[in-house]
Amino acid sequence: MLDITFASSINALILGLSIASIFLVAALGLTIIYGTAGVINMAHGEFIMLGAYASFTMQNYLGVPFFLCIPLSFLVVAVIGLIIERSLIQYLYNRPLDTLLATWGVSLVLMQGVRLIFGSDPKYIQMPSFMSTNIAIGDVSISLFRVFVFAVAIALIGAVWWLFYRTDFGIKVRAVTQNKEMAASFGINSSRVYTMTFALGAGLAGIAGSLFGVLNIVLPTMGMGYVVEAFLMVVTGGGSLLGTIIASGVTGEAQSIFAFIFNDTFARFLVFILIVIFLRFRPQGLISAGGVRR
Amino acid sequence: MAAMEKNIYHNKALQWGVYAVFFIALAIIPLVQDDAFILNQFATYGVYGMLALSISLCWGFGGILNLGQGIAFGLGAYGMAMTMQMQSQDPDINPIPPFMLNNALEELPFFWEPFWNTSAGIFLALLVPTLFYVIFGGLMFQARVAGPFFAIMTLAILSALATLFIDLQPYTNGVNGISPPGALDLGFVVVDPYSSVSYWTVFVLLLVSTVCAKLLTQSRFGLVVQALKNDSERVRFLGYHVAFYETAVYAVSGLIAALAGCCWAFLTQYVSPAQFDVGFSISMVIWAAIGGRNSLIWAIMGAFMVQGAQSYVGDEFLNSWVLILGLFFILVVRFLPGGFAGLTESLLGALSTGGRRRGGDVPVDVSKAGTEGA
Amino acid sequence: MAISRRKFLRNSALAAGAVAAPHVWIPASREAWGASIKKGEPIKVGLLFSLTGGLAVPEEDSTLVMQYAIEEINDNGGIDGSPIEPIIIDAKSDFKVYTEKARELILRDKVLAIFGCYTSASRKAILPIVMQQESLLFYPTCYEGAECTQNTVCTGPLANQHSKDLIPYMVNEFGPRVFFVGSNYVWPKESNKNAKIWLEQAGGELLGEEYVPLGSSEFGPVLNKIRSANPDFIFSTVVGASDIAFHRQFRQSGFSAEKMPIASLTTGEIEVKAMGAENGAGHFLSAPYFMALDNPTNNKFVDSFLSSKYGKNGVTHYNMEETYTSAYVFKYAVEKALKENEPDAVTSKVVRDACAGIEVKADVSPEGLVWIDENNFNTWLVPKIGQCQADGSFKIVKEAPEHVEPDPYSIYPDIGTCTAEGLKTPDGTIRQDVI
Repeated sequence: MLDITFASSINALILGLSIASIFLVAALGLTIIYGTAGVINMAHGEFIMLGAYASFTMQNYLGVPFFLCIPLSFLVVAVIGLIIERSLIQYLYNRPLDTLLATWGVSLVLMQGVRLIFGSDPKYIQMPSFMSTNIAIGDVSISLFRVFVFAVAIALIGAVWWLFYRTDFGIKVRAVTQNKEMAASFGINSSRVYTMTFALGAGLAGIAGSLFGVLNIVLPTMGMGYVVEAFLMVVTGGGSLLGTIIASGVTGEAQSIFAFIFNDTFARFLVFILIVIFLRFRPQGLISAGGVRR
Repeated sequence: MAAMEKNIYHNKALQWGVYAVFFIALAIIPLVQDDAFILNQFATYGVYGMLALSISLCWGFGGILNLGQGIAFGLGAYGMAMTMQMQSQDPDINPIPPFMLNNALEELPFFWEPFWNTSAGIFLALLVPTLFYVIFGGLMFQARVAGPFFAIMTLAILSALATLFIDLQPYTNGVNGISPPGALDLGFVVVDPYSSVSYWTVFVLLLVSTVCAKLLTQSRFGLVVQALKNDSERVRFLGYHVAFYETAVYAVSGLIAALAGCCWAFLTQYVSPAQFDVGFSISMVIWAAIGGRNSLIWAIMGAFMVQGAQSYVGDEFLNSWVLILGLFFILVVRFLPGGFAGLTESLLGALSTGGRRRGGDVPVDVSKAGTEGA
Repeated sequence: MAISRRKFLRNSALAAGAVAAPHVWIPASREAWGASIKKGEPIKVGLLFSLTGGLAVPEEDSTLVMQYAIEEINDNGGIDGSPIEPIIIDAKSDFKVYTEKARELILRDKVLAIFGCYTSASRKAILPIVMQQESLLFYPTCYEGAECTQNTVCTGPLANQHSKDLIPYMVNEFGPRVFFVGSNYVWPKESNKNAKIWLEQAGGELLGEEYVPLGSSEFGPVLNKIRSANPDFIFSTVVGASDIAFHRQFRQSGFSAEKMPIASLTTGEIEVKAMGAENGAGHFLSAPYFMALDNPTNNKFVDSFLSSKYGKNGVTHYNMEETYTSAYVFKYAVEKALKENEPDAVTSKVVRDACAGIEVKADVSPEGLVWIDENNFNTWLVPKIGQCQADGSFKIVKEAPEHVEPDPYSIYPDIGTCTAEGLKTPDGTIRQDVI
């Protein structure tokens, strides 16, 4: 049954990159929030869902073109994240397990709130028709939209890297991450840094949502499908940006190759098990985020 | 720990009194109610209570947040359902369950064989999940995976198990799960799910596991476990084998959850991979959190309260029920980290000592303490 | 519904007050707890569908169309003068709620029948209580069969009815080479077993068979395998959200419906609406009902349903229509039972037995005449093949020449045949409640 040719192997490897970019886009916001503030945000999947609904609303009711919906979804979800951080999360920073629970509550509220507003029938985000094609070189082929997602992932990594390592805000974030008290004594308002980071992470989830709304279905429950995998990327990566990038890359390729050799279900199971074994030997993840964990 | 406080909440005799009152109240129900539905419903709440108890034991006392308690629950439930399924089979006439025929199995898989025997089946239903917890917990705690990381790992294992049970369709009937056609027959009694027999079975098991858990927390072992939660590094420096204690308390909580799974299977005559649902495992944590994770009895009552409210009030709201539950839960986490137990403790503390609080058997603000070690 | 809950609270208050005088009433038999019809009182039925959670997409429509059907029946005089009273439950896509609420409906509300469930998993979850209490479940959607209980009536197509026409049609139109894709659970696997038989008869060739995890939205690996196999058409049993992701990624990957159409058992009007008509156009669906069926009954049904307060989601699809028909099966069966029995004696079991051979005629059933099989209580129906058009509606390209018999054990003749009394095994013994 298995038909390994040169072209199909190359296809599997390219697809692995694409799956990796999807994992990465899903996990990026989570990584930033966890890496900086140590908050395990269980509502991350629902932020993704909000991004998809934001895009849907803008496209459907206001006629905003798809490519503009992406940055606008960032803004909308970032503002929602900001509100949630100010009204709830900021009181829980020294209680990580409690933030985990509180954000689970937030996810229930967001999911049901969206359902009450938009109904439970699936929505759909239209993408420009020129995108729905593939690029083919000989037998090697990849869909254009997947290339686009990959490009967005690269762009987001670049933007986040620039923000963290080339701006004043980034210096403050890294200072607070490494030692909150010390940073405070240098006059950095850590509470403000946390707020901005949380909003940033939520906004990135919003971008993920507007992309996934095209690949997938737009439903109040759509976020749950991404959240466990996104968590695993963060945990495996150790909470740092680079760690998440590597973890997504390796898992994405592994998933694609296993699915190519065996089948999708078994690939997923195998990836989970490998992650558990990996963490047995490296519990701090690939590259630890620094001050957050001991 | 500090000397006995004046807060009567920490009075051990009184605590046992509260346990007694709770269980006597539960014991009265079948005497005044012979409605099959109520009995079955309260027995199911009892199962949820066991789950909340198991969460309270490993999270409230051991500081190990476990978002994958469905692992033990599901494995236990599968074990019991397999036992019940085999009771309805006949070695000569129809030796293998109908769903296996549809999946082209000619003979019973070897790991189904022990389930011909009811005692062996029930024993396995409890042993397998406990052993799973010992191995998985051992691996993780040896590697010093703790806190949120451990919680996420339990989630991952839970998802992996659900995937596995769905994929192994010839042996587990996949997503459709196993619905044994008959009630559990223990030889001396048939546990009809709509009778007081099943109610009493769950009652006794809940009582026994609660008392054992309570005794455990008051023992020397329990003291070390609680110390772990507050500062596992210090406990390590004192020469205790931290991973052993963590694994042990995690495994005991797994055993209780497996017991709950067994009860669930004979109460509903049904088990499926939905038992490994992430939402279900998290709702166990919600019960314990709302009731009060640091108090075994309050955690149990949390399960009764939340599920009871869902059964009796939830229908009035239909669509907005989940919204209300979510908001309520956020409020509890934000303002009542100790749940109703914490609230009671503060109220009683204010009554008896004019507001002076000390840590003891049931410390108030453990959430903070728990995180330092994590 | 609110009333029944309050009644409970009052009852339990009474019970609490009666500590000193314990109840002595003990039911003599299961029958004594059972539901039956009381003259002049409404006939209670339970609607056990999910209005929230992952299953809400198909099941909310089922609840709405049942409410519509019940209103329609009640406006036309109810059943023999008694109105039907629906007890609406939100099962929250949660197995705990399905099992608990099924018990509540049967034991407390004493409904005459439950209309409910979309997935086989939820059906299997509530069947033990339904069977034990001799209650009655109307299961109004397609499923895999291989089940023989004495307490269910199914109005959707079985695995043996669905693909029988579809596979030969596709082989004739597009070529013999086919690739099977399905969600990884019981129904797709069973459907594919049937499809393989039709495929062999039609002289087709199976190039590959892939299953993706339920709810998965990543179809890259599967599409790559399809690309290397290069089949003439794809036979899909992917369900729910995955199905939408599958069709969208299919087109995004440069496949086209003209060259390699997907023949599906699930992609109906509601799925096409969710994936965007451009992603559904050109593909095929086999179902007993399409919104675009052009007959007076269906035109009336579509118009009046969509303009009613229950038509807010804007489409009708096969699953809804099967649910709608089940309401009429119930009505006719109860009327038949009332002719032969005193109202008090009309229990769920009697209604179930009365369902044997019940016809829903073409002037009521939007899909045309259907009837309930006298042996296995599934439905005789006419499967139709529709092709999705650019506007998201379906064009009927083929209709089976005659009604197709439902046979839950069609591919397992060794196991037995389903009769009204139970599963008749080859050696002649009857086994009841085989699930």
